[in-house]
Amino acid sequence: MASMMQPQIILLKEGTDTSQGKAQLLSNINAVTAVGDVLRTTLGPRGMDKLIHDDKGSVTISNDGATIMKLLDIVHPAAKILVDIAKSQDSEVGDGTTTVVLLAAEFLKEAKPFVEDGVHSQNLIRSYRTASTLAIDKVKELAVSIEGKSVEEKKGMLAKCAATTLSSKLIGGEKEFFATMVVDAVMAIGDDDRLNLIGIKKVPGGNMRDSFLVDGVAFKKTFSYAGFEQQPKKFLNPKILLLNIELELKSEKENAEIRLSDPSQYQSIVDAEWNIIYDKLDKCVESGAKVVLSRLAIGDLATQYFADRDIFCAGRVAEEDLNRVAAAAGGTVQTSVNNIIPEVLGTCEIFEEKQVGGERFNIFSGCPSGRTATIVLRGGADQFIEEAERSLHDAIMIVRRAVKNSTVVPGGGAIDVIPRQLCDNAGFDATDVLNKLRQKHAMQSGEGASYGVDINTGGIADSYANFVWEPAVVKINAINAATEAACLILSVDETVKNPKSESAQGDAAAGAMGRGRGGGRGRGMRRR
Amino acid sequence: MALAFDEFGRPFIILREQDQKTRLRGIDAQKANIAAGKAVARILRSSLGPKGMDKMLQGPDGDVTISNDGATILEQMDVDNQIAKLMVDLSRSQDYEIGDGTTGVVVMAGALLEQAERQLDRGIHPIRIAEGYEMASRVAVEHLERIAQKFEFDVNSYEPLVQTCMTTLSSKIVNRCKRSLAEIAVKAVLAVADLERRDVNLDLIKVEGKVGGKLEDTELIYGILVDKDMSHPQMPKHIEDAHIAILTCPFEPPKPKTKHKVDIDTVEKFETLRKQEQQYFDEMVQKCKDVGATLVICQWGFDDEANHLLMHRNLPAVRWVGGVELELIAIATGGRIVPRFQELTPEKLGKAGMVREKSFGTTKERMLYIEHCANSKAVTIFIRGGYGLGNKMMIEETKRSIHDALCVARNLIRNNSIVYGGGAAEITCSLAVDAAADKYPGVEQYAIRAFAEALDSVPMALAENSGLQPIETLSAVKSQQIKENIPFYGIDCNDVGTNDMREQNVFETLIGKQQQILLATQVVKMILKIDDVISNSEY
Repeated sequence: MASMMQPQIILLKEGTDTSQGKAQLLSNINAVTAVGDVLRTTLGPRGMDKLIHDDKGSVTISNDGATIMKLLDIVHPAAKILVDIAKSQDSEVGDGTTTVVLLAAEFLKEAKPFVEDGVHSQNLIRSYRTASTLAIDKVKELAVSIEGKSVEEKKGMLAKCAATTLSSKLIGGEKEFFATMVVDAVMAIGDDDRLNLIGIKKVPGGNMRDSFLVDGVAFKKTFSYAGFEQQPKKFLNPKILLLNIELELKSEKENAEIRLSDPSQYQSIVDAEWNIIYDKLDKCVESGAKVVLSRLAIGDLATQYFADRDIFCAGRVAEEDLNRVAAAAGGTVQTSVNNIIPEVLGTCEIFEEKQVGGERFNIFSGCPSGRTATIVLRGGADQFIEEAERSLHDAIMIVRRAVKNSTVVPGGGAIDVIPRQLCDNAGFDATDVLNKLRQKHAMQSGEGASYGVDINTGGIADSYANFVWEPAVVKINAINAATEAACLILSVDETVKNPKSESAQGDAAAGAMGRGRGGGRGRGMRRR
Repeated sequence: MALAFDEFGRPFIILREQDQKTRLRGIDAQKANIAAGKAVARILRSSLGPKGMDKMLQGPDGDVTISNDGATILEQMDVDNQIAKLMVDLSRSQDYEIGDGTTGVVVMAGALLEQAERQLDRGIHPIRIAEGYEMASRVAVEHLERIAQKFEFDVNSYEPLVQTCMTTLSSKIVNRCKRSLAEIAVKAVLAVADLERRDVNLDLIKVEGKVGGKLEDTELIYGILVDKDMSHPQMPKHIEDAHIAILTCPFEPPKPKTKHKVDIDTVEKFETLRKQEQQYFDEMVQKCKDVGATLVICQWGFDDEANHLLMHRNLPAVRWVGGVELELIAIATGGRIVPRFQELTPEKLGKAGMVREKSFGTTKERMLYIEHCANSKAVTIFIRGGYGLGNKMMIEETKRSIHDALCVARNLIRNNSIVYGGGAAEITCSLAVDAAADKYPGVEQYAIRAFAEALDSVPMALAENSGLQPIETLSAVKSQQIKENIPFYGIDCNDVGTNDMREQNVFETLIGKQQQILLATQVVKMILKIDDVISNSEY
């Protein structure tokens, strides 16, 4: 019985797709390069923006690598790793998200010919690791410490870091303006780790130059009841009471019911209720506070009561704003109006309600602790302000990083792909500039080490002297993360796709899925 | 997004629902975006200037708006394209900040985009164009600062303010009465302005409109106008030296907020309850009388019993007055809003020299005038018109025009610098920018020149809309400006016979003009910076 049927061993569920070997590796590399290509044009001061519609129809215009990666909604497993490193760079450092993705894509692209030639991927991984260590050492060597400088000098240096980050963004034209603002904001909150102490408020309308920094807290006028306009709108050195209770005439207990048998008792119940609220209001007034803020509603009765006593009040203040006021003014948020001691009241130099564009803003400035700052952003379009906010966030992170790590390196291109892309995006001859750069860097004396691409003239220039600076940690983290990602992708030689997870990827794409599954198999070709 | 294929022709799937997405990148994306922006600008172009045309817009529920105001037109158009939305935002932003010049800013942005397209065809990098624009805008803004003129005004001599407001109004449908409307706007703003702080709270100016009558009947009331009448037809229609109680509590027995039930099991108890209710009404009215109120204004209603009682006790009352109006009345009359009767005191009453009810035409509609108030820091502009058209289109457009005029007056109080209108400011800026262009090395020079050319498009559109030969007129004015080195020459839209805008008294605010240039540049930069549009294909 030689023709005994050999039973087929079924290991995996029907429909599971597996792909393996070199082909798989190459295919992954191709996918990653394709993603890298999308981001390529956003790098540098002459980088472009992307306009992305998401499935809900809302639109984002951005230059920020992490934001774009998130919105691209990538499903390819290998390419997803890029999204993850961009995210990690964002949360770790806050800037350089485009750089990290480009680096990783470029590492893999360089690895491709070696893989095709049969070099074992583990060998590649090992060499990449070594190279990255070398690169990081070099970065560290180049790094200039800003430790030990005077505050003024330090501020200047930090502003330069912030300006470098901002130069690639939409608000790049006003980078000095915003860089100083960001540095002031970061210096204001000091070493405190609470980033939420820096508030960014967006007011559509106006020019970006109309943006301003408040050394304290600012928030939009909250919903107000009749009588609000009769309250004073400006105080000097007011006491500020922060509450987390409702000041409204309402039933004290939700499910209580009063039964009256004698109609003449009616009035007493009504009075009792009024007394409760009046009691609360009296206590607020007695505390000596001139500004009363509450996270919950302050009703019309209370509004008028305060107006009669020349007190300013605002109800339904957003929690983060209230917390910022608490931190800035030095008060504590009260959950009861009983026993208000002077210590829980905050204060600030000037409180004012001001018109900002079409909105009115409550502004507390000159706060004693000085540990908060609010940036009020203005701009011509909603999209514009959104993007400006993202850019400022990056700049703030960078400055904070620089404060912590105290070393900066020259920007403008450190590893090959970066200057090449910078040139491409700026419309220069990449090869030419690159060769010049290499020549400078190869000089024995080492004085050329800080040379980078000069975007303005199309040549090369000393980035250090031109104040194109980045914190060292950004570069180190970028190299590290990119190497990690590249190694991770290189080490994968088999993908098993579960059929279930595939169908979960969306019904609409189902048609393409049949063919698309092949993407994991076979040798790939770079996207055109 | 274009699919990526491997060597066997099988596509990669990198993005979710990849084949559903379309992607436009590089120069194509920029061209498409520019085309969208230009399309929006083209719509508004014909609305510019005193001879500009209006647009009729029909909303989804059939109501019609006719407007000349750029921000309003774009708002109502409900555009879907993202780039077009940016243009709408641009116009709105000008509206928020300045309140006027919303058409001009869009036309300006459209012209900048058009010029940018040409530069792109030359192969100039979009970012360099944007940078060039930015440099040029700075030059233009500085130039405006230099040529701007300041004028002094105070509460009594406000002629320049009126002139500037008239320039704004001249492009609107109401230009027939621009003189009187401009005066009304300026007086209103001056009435509420805090000249020391140079601050104007426009919330204190109420703009009320009523269909019927003539536009000429539009008036400024130093006080408040409420679209309400006395609660009882027999109450007096005319109260002099009124003491007003402003109440936020209803004329009815107070109710506890907590759930409650009154157990009534006997007739006696019912009687007591009824009696008590009556007593409440009586006490309330008495309380008002006691403190000396001669008019009651109430946020809530009151039932017929109370109404009758009020009539009987000769205490006129107005019910269902909205919270905002209540607040305005309180501010104007210097009264306090009182939340319950127990707290009424004579000091809390508002005072007005005259309260009268006025009826209009043959209709039964009546309105309440509260005038000669203790504190005149709240005024009302009452707009009439519509010629019995029976619709509010005319009134609404007048309201918008008045709003623009108010904003202009406010801006002048904030900053009393003016530049000359009729395209004069644009022409002189264009000349200045063009001259400055040669000083810049690099590709930006082309962009700066393009900016100068784009500036020309505003006077060009003005001339075109006025039925003049655009190119001829513009070049004539331009050469005149250079020859005499005077930045006042503009387009003579109304065929007065002189190009001198000083003589024609065509002024615009400096900050408005600067804002226009800066905002347009900003948005154009944003549009130029996009080189990749990824969207679901249905868009």
